[in-house]
Amino acid sequence: MSSGRGVLSYLGSHLKVLGVGTGFLLVTNGLERSIPWLLKNGVDAFSASDLGAARRAAWMVFALAAAVLLVRTLSRVLIFNVARDVEFELREELLAKLHRLGSTFFGKSSAGDIMSRATNDLGQVRLLLGFGSMNLVNAVIAYVSALALMLTISPALTLWALAPYPLFLLAMRMFVRKLYVVSQEQQKVLGKLAERAQEYLSGVRVVRAYTADAFEAARFDAANQDALKRTMSVVSLRALMTPVLVGISSLGTVLVLYRGGLMIDRGELSKGSLLAFYAYFAQLIWPTMAAGYIFSVVQRGRAAYARVREVLDAPPDIVEVASPRAVERVDGRLGRGALRVSHLTFAYGDRKVLDDVSFELPEDGTLAILGRTGSGKTTLAGLLARLLPTPEGRVFLDGQDITTLKLHELRRAVGYAQQEPFLFSTTVARNIGFSLDDADGPEGAERVRAAAREASILDELEALPDGLDTIVGERGVQLSGGQKQRVALARALLNSPSVLVLDDPLSAVDAKTERAILDALDRAAAGRTLILITSRTAAAARCDQILVLDAGKVIERGTHAELVRNKGFYAEQHKRQSLEQELSQL
Amino acid sequence: MSGRPSQPVKGYSRAERLLAQFHEEVPSQGVDWKMLRDLLPFAKKHGRLYLTAFLLMPVGALMAVLQPRMLQKAVDATGLGGDPGVLAQVAITYACIVVIRFAASFCETYAMQLAGQRTMADLRGNVFAHIQKLSIRHFDRTPVGRIVTRVTNDIDSMGELFASGAVTAVGDLLLLTGVVVSMLLLDVKLSLVAFMAVPPLLFAVEFFRRQLRTAQRKIRGRIASLNAFLNEQVQGIQVVQAFSRERECAEAYADINRDYRDANRLAIRNDALLFSAVDAISTIAVGLVLWYAASRLELLGDAVSAERTKGTFIAFYAYIQQFFVPVRDLSTKYTMIQSAFASAERVFGLLNVTDYDAPLLSEVPAPAPGLALALAPEVSFSHVVFRYKPVGPPILDDVSFSIARGETVAIVGATGAGKSTVTALVQRFYDVEGGSVQVAGRDVRSYPRDELRARFAVVQQDVFLFAGDLLANVALGDTKPDRVRAETALQRASATHLFEARGGLDMRIAERGQNLSAGERQLVSFARALYRDPELLILDEATANIDSETEARLQHAVDELLAGRTAIVIAHRLSTIRRVGRILVFHHGQIVEQGSHAELLAAQGVYARLYQLQFALEAAAS
Repeated sequence: MSSGRGVLSYLGSHLKVLGVGTGFLLVTNGLERSIPWLLKNGVDAFSASDLGAARRAAWMVFALAAAVLLVRTLSRVLIFNVARDVEFELREELLAKLHRLGSTFFGKSSAGDIMSRATNDLGQVRLLLGFGSMNLVNAVIAYVSALALMLTISPALTLWALAPYPLFLLAMRMFVRKLYVVSQEQQKVLGKLAERAQEYLSGVRVVRAYTADAFEAARFDAANQDALKRTMSVVSLRALMTPVLVGISSLGTVLVLYRGGLMIDRGELSKGSLLAFYAYFAQLIWPTMAAGYIFSVVQRGRAAYARVREVLDAPPDIVEVASPRAVERVDGRLGRGALRVSHLTFAYGDRKVLDDVSFELPEDGTLAILGRTGSGKTTLAGLLARLLPTPEGRVFLDGQDITTLKLHELRRAVGYAQQEPFLFSTTVARNIGFSLDDADGPEGAERVRAAAREASILDELEALPDGLDTIVGERGVQLSGGQKQRVALARALLNSPSVLVLDDPLSAVDAKTERAILDALDRAAAGRTLILITSRTAAAARCDQILVLDAGKVIERGTHAELVRNKGFYAEQHKRQSLEQELSQL
Repeated sequence: MSGRPSQPVKGYSRAERLLAQFHEEVPSQGVDWKMLRDLLPFAKKHGRLYLTAFLLMPVGALMAVLQPRMLQKAVDATGLGGDPGVLAQVAITYACIVVIRFAASFCETYAMQLAGQRTMADLRGNVFAHIQKLSIRHFDRTPVGRIVTRVTNDIDSMGELFASGAVTAVGDLLLLTGVVVSMLLLDVKLSLVAFMAVPPLLFAVEFFRRQLRTAQRKIRGRIASLNAFLNEQVQGIQVVQAFSRERECAEAYADINRDYRDANRLAIRNDALLFSAVDAISTIAVGLVLWYAASRLELLGDAVSAERTKGTFIAFYAYIQQFFVPVRDLSTKYTMIQSAFASAERVFGLLNVTDYDAPLLSEVPAPAPGLALALAPEVSFSHVVFRYKPVGPPILDDVSFSIARGETVAIVGATGAGKSTVTALVQRFYDVEGGSVQVAGRDVRSYPRDELRARFAVVQQDVFLFAGDLLANVALGDTKPDRVRAETALQRASATHLFEARGGLDMRIAERGQNLSAGERQLVSFARALYRDPELLILDEATANIDSETEARLQHAVDELLAGRTAIVIAHRLSTIRRVGRILVFHHGQIVEQGSHAELLAAQGVYARLYQLQFALEAAAS
């Protein structure tokens, strides 16, 4: 799996089906070629006064038509289904891979880029495997068989018929190349149009404040006209392509008519043979036209597959060791919750984010981590649950190096709630019960409600249009920042980990809610280890230990009382926040 | 999402039902032809092009049906009772027919495309112009992406109607008619025999098309869910990993993926059947003709009519090929028409939104007579009540103040106290719920929106720069940018030398001004305001950390800006606050104190606390 798995390797497990499908394709072609031959015999029988033979030919045609119906359907179904199956497998593989990737990958690739690979590129790969491969095989078979039969009827006439073909191929090559170029340009210009609209909407207040609507309209109009021009060059090329190509091949028909007519007259050819010849020649047009399209399908498909492969081959940041140890189970819960961090240093590339951080937290202990934005708090939180590539031998859970533990068990033992929580577009109950297998069942529902109550959000959720069944998230009902944080808090509480890491769960809540949550946290802290990342000294004050980070280094540590006496960063923050508190109560 | 039960269980079906509703695509109710009526005004402008295209259609169809006739003539020219002399003539005629047919076909397609794409461009321009008229409140409620999609993807999908030739289905119908007539003219009985294949053909097409449509609708719904799910997995990957729910999420995804694959299999099966059935029926039609021709010859067969029948049969063979291809393609075209109509519905839906920005209100009292107007304060709020959402506490609660001409007033307050709302209301981005806002003695609701906004220049905290050159950004809103004036504005903002080396006014500004520093962006926005040289200035000072050199430059520029103007300043800098005569202190949506810096400090109220909070550290640092 490491690299370079070819796209055709996905066909490996479908070889049998594919073989049968291709077999049917061969049969289809054979049957299709027989029909004009039968017609030829039928027509030629007209003048031989052997009309019984002509009628027999007609009956054979009926039988063949039925056979082609069956065989052609089977070949298409089998081959196209394989392409869909491969698409299905690729999708599964892609998500499984994404689940294993970490910040290095997601930091580099935008969600839009990943989605484009999973949708557009995957679609191209499917076209390559289904439509592309089937038509490629079909074109080859059709060519070989039709040409052979044409040659059997008359080698001379075949040469005449194919005389315009070099021109045909040349024209097609030109069209395909040119189309590719103009389509690329068109896509670019259409993208520009979207950019313009997007820019207008993002800057709408400035535009309106400066009454710059005419200016914006002019800019949009320019992009619009450009898009019109580019689109026209694509569509007019397409409009030209079919007539020119079919026209050139019709030249061949003209030659067939003329030369064929002369040959009949000289008695070198029967009328039935001319009919069959004409039919075979007509059967060549579609595969030839398709060849140009197939060529671009193959080209685009391969490029698309390379982009999909980039995701599938991206190395994951975090890999479980060869034989990971289990996390100790205590009273049905994973881990006891004693946490030790020793000389932890961490960098994103060259940028050092954490510098020699150490602390020790006993079972059931509480620790607050405070610091400015960018001081490394969130990174530290991510390292504790190994959501980031935690270095070996630096973080220990219950005395065990976390990098040696089973990843899933570790993450279940160390719960983590993000600062800007992500909610899925599903019911709020299922968001809270994310760690449950059945959040809607009677037992699940009760646990969800209990967690929501703990996070002081139950009343607000029940007031939503559909209560706890209201669909939230990006595409659902928009919750406020504070509500989202509390839903995420409930989600983390319900998971009941032995170590709970909360990344600034109070940054977007008002003072009243803050107190309610802090009380809830006091209750939650009972019986588990709690790490609270916060900018609020009022929250930090409730913890046994406080750590102040600055530029990745621990600059102050101690209890609230000690740090306030210290007159450092913490004390200053405390003073500011007390003032703010006082102010808001005026 | 999480551990979705594989089967809905009774007792808690509400979640299942709501989710089903949520994920269900709005099923398109076939094709609503009424949509064409909305499209008509846009198409009218290009009526001539459409007419040209429609007039060319019969030409192409006529030429197409002449081709098999030539085939027949060529065959008849030879053998018994033929005249081989006409062969060359037939071949030349055939060549001419081909040339005329394809010339007509190209001209027709081109005219149709030009008309169609121009119509779409007009529609797009109209949609954008409509967006420009909508209220900010509408944008607050509607995700940006959705509006952008209307302008781009939806109109593109409508354009596909023309681009992929769905409109030329009309031409196909003409061709079909032509083929039928030609066949009848050639040989009535033989035609009737061939037409026996038409009823089963129509039945097969209709049957499989229905199946295909159902499958395709399902596919569209599934692919939307599939993409939405994956998108959320990417966005929420940390949550999935933190809760160790990879396996469960993968299972839920596999469910949708499997549904999607199965729907596709259904579509593949029906598509293959449709394709093969049409082909088989056309072969059967040919067989029927052969069989009947032979039977007829048996009854009244002489050598000459046997020869003639050969030519006729060849022509029939060609006609039957011509007949069946467009019939097969009609269903694909229908699907395309359907999705184009669904897009049209969304586009016209947006065009029908009438939530306009700052409409003139007639019931607002007329401006006071001349003298009173001259003495009226530049800006005045009287008992203004405002909220962004219909429920909850008001953002501004009974706020009254006025600013005299030439006066600079600072607004201070904690985050969320309502400071920025004041500036939004002065420019009438929103309408008040109670009370009134007046500018130069007139209610803002009695101004045409551009006349009102032309009075101000606004410097926002978060500067918005547009992709383009520096000149266009400084001269924003001016359709004919004045270089000299822009140069002067930059100079007064002490920003000229910052950009000199990078091309001056011709410097390229990247999307959102990403190639400028925060301080530089601020200075550009100051120059923007100076270029405009307004009576009234609204300045929302930046809070960003800026180095001391830029800070000094900004300070100088602020002085330039404020000189001799009426100004509202949302102040974040001590230096600005100290030189302002009057400070309004906002707290929980109300003005709680006002006065000079010294007076307010002495009062030991909200301002004194705010000062400690906001400025004391800054003062200590400097």
